[in-house]
Amino acid sequence: MIEFRDVGKRFADGTVGLESLSLTAREGEITVLVGPSGCGKTTSLRTVNRMVEPTSGAVLLAGRDVAQGDPAELRRGIGYVIQQAGLFPHRRVIDNVATVPVLQGLSRREARARAAEVLERVGLDDALAQRWPAQLSGGQQQRVGVARALAGDAPVLLMDEPFSAVDPVVRVELQDELLRLQADLGKTILFVTHDIDEAIRLGDRVAVLRVGGRLAQFAPPDELLAQPVDDFVSGFVGRDRGYRRLGFLPATALRLVDLPTRADANGDTAGPAVPGEWTVLLDGSERPAAWLGPDGARHDLGSVYVTDGDDAAADAAGTLRGALDAALSSPAGRGVAVDGAGRYRGGVDTDDVLALLDRSAPR
Amino acid sequence: MLGRLVEWFSAPAQWSGSAGIPTRVLEHLGYTLLAVAIAAVIALPLGAVIGHTRRGGLAVVGVANGLRALPELGVLVLFVLLLGLGLLPPTLALVLLAIPPMLAGAYSGVAGADPGAVDAARGMGMRESQILLQVEVPAAVPLVLGGVRFATLQVVATATIAAYVGLGGLGRYIIDGFSVRDFPQMLGGALIVAVLSIVVELVLQLLGRFVTPGPDRLRLRGRPDRHAAAAPSSVPTPPSPERPDR
Repeated sequence: MIEFRDVGKRFADGTVGLESLSLTAREGEITVLVGPSGCGKTTSLRTVNRMVEPTSGAVLLAGRDVAQGDPAELRRGIGYVIQQAGLFPHRRVIDNVATVPVLQGLSRREARARAAEVLERVGLDDALAQRWPAQLSGGQQQRVGVARALAGDAPVLLMDEPFSAVDPVVRVELQDELLRLQADLGKTILFVTHDIDEAIRLGDRVAVLRVGGRLAQFAPPDELLAQPVDDFVSGFVGRDRGYRRLGFLPATALRLVDLPTRADANGDTAGPAVPGEWTVLLDGSERPAAWLGPDGARHDLGSVYVTDGDDAAADAAGTLRGALDAALSSPAGRGVAVDGAGRYRGGVDTDDVLALLDRSAPR
Repeated sequence: MLGRLVEWFSAPAQWSGSAGIPTRVLEHLGYTLLAVAIAAVIALPLGAVIGHTRRGGLAVVGVANGLRALPELGVLVLFVLLLGLGLLPPTLALVLLAIPPMLAGAYSGVAGADPGAVDAARGMGMRESQILLQVEVPAAVPLVLGGVRFATLQVVATATIAAYVGLGGLGRYIIDGFSVRDFPQMLGGALIVAVLSIVVELVLQLLGRFVTPGPDRLRLRGRPDRHAAAAPSSVPTPPSPERPDR
């Protein structure tokens, strides 16, 4: 648990980095600090490992004031990931990851063994261990950065915009990876970002900060989207918040409709199963392959609604957002629902989704 | 003139004895090594510490530029007047010459280390001395080596002044030749200094490739660099932009 108690930071030149921040990041959760530039989110994060010393208030880590004791000792017990990854260019990947274990007093051999374990854990190929950081892509470097922070086996992780410098596709991969790791490891993570989508995707709880480090709202992401406390927060969470909130609403009560289906045989030119209707073509393992239009032409499936995916990658699994998106993106006006293994389950009707939405919307 | 130069070089006496070319070259290299070593002991740690703390950078630049402006021969004469004859005055004069490039190299190399790597190092719990030695100094190696090379070249070229105060080295040929108007001897001495400078530069460049940490280091044996032939990883990130093979 990380507890900020009236933490303030006034820099030497008189500018106020943080006015007075009070906040508790709970054990085993991802707490995201989000806000516009100059809101003090990075400054707050850096007070936890004393990279910034607050001028007032205190930061407590597991109940202990971090200001007591040796800062270097403190930092070896806290994982730290930064935006540029900050890998040591003159050390191979494996030795970068072994840095903290070596600082903790392990022999080089033990530290490397530990590093190899962690590299595997973050999904990095064994062959990459002997490479130099300059030979990795941005996404790979960031993974190494995460591995390096995990190698010390610290219960607490500080992540300062770790995924901001990579392209959007890789960013989503890294976010999924982090969620998967977190499901295994249950670390207490303090995560700083300026990207509200990232905050909502990753955070168990999200703290929105205004300029000067004043806390605007601290809530779970669905609450933030449903009930922003003021214009600043609603402006910051953005225009699509209503749609994005659907990602937090379960679609368990959604009734699936029956669609005409037919096995998809290669070179088959047979018409629709029901004349004048859209037909779902299924492959040999019952997985939907394409739509067959009333005109007899094949059409792209659109996005499918995964009813019960437990895969973190399908983050809209089983939610109204996934259901609505399937219905809207289908050329047939109805979405296709599949189970976690991708097998055909039924159809999604837009009206049913909207009716369900109508009932679950808070008034 | 050319014929007399060839004659000078081909005289058997030139290649043996205490006034022969091999002896003079060794003396010359000895003065150089002594001056560069003393200057390195002073300039490299000083530059590294200033680069790490970022305090006194302006003073470094000022002092370095000031030292560069000193006339070498005048400094030598001053030291002789103060300290008398011997090895010390020319060595000190050469040390003053060698300090500025090494100081600047160490300072800018350490100060120029990747701020992200330094921040990460500190955040992971490295102490300041560990940050300096394990992160900043390795990053500074190319610039430090550049400073050392530049300083060494300057000293090799200038160590001829040792002959002014009665010492040996390749300056002997130039000064002795001048005093008896033996121009082939002067030219021969100057040529040897020039060739020696080039050889020293090449040797230092090669040595530098062996001590530069990281992917650019030359390795004679041991771990083959697996990255060169490594298959693309199974990680679903875009393949890394491979650097040209070295």
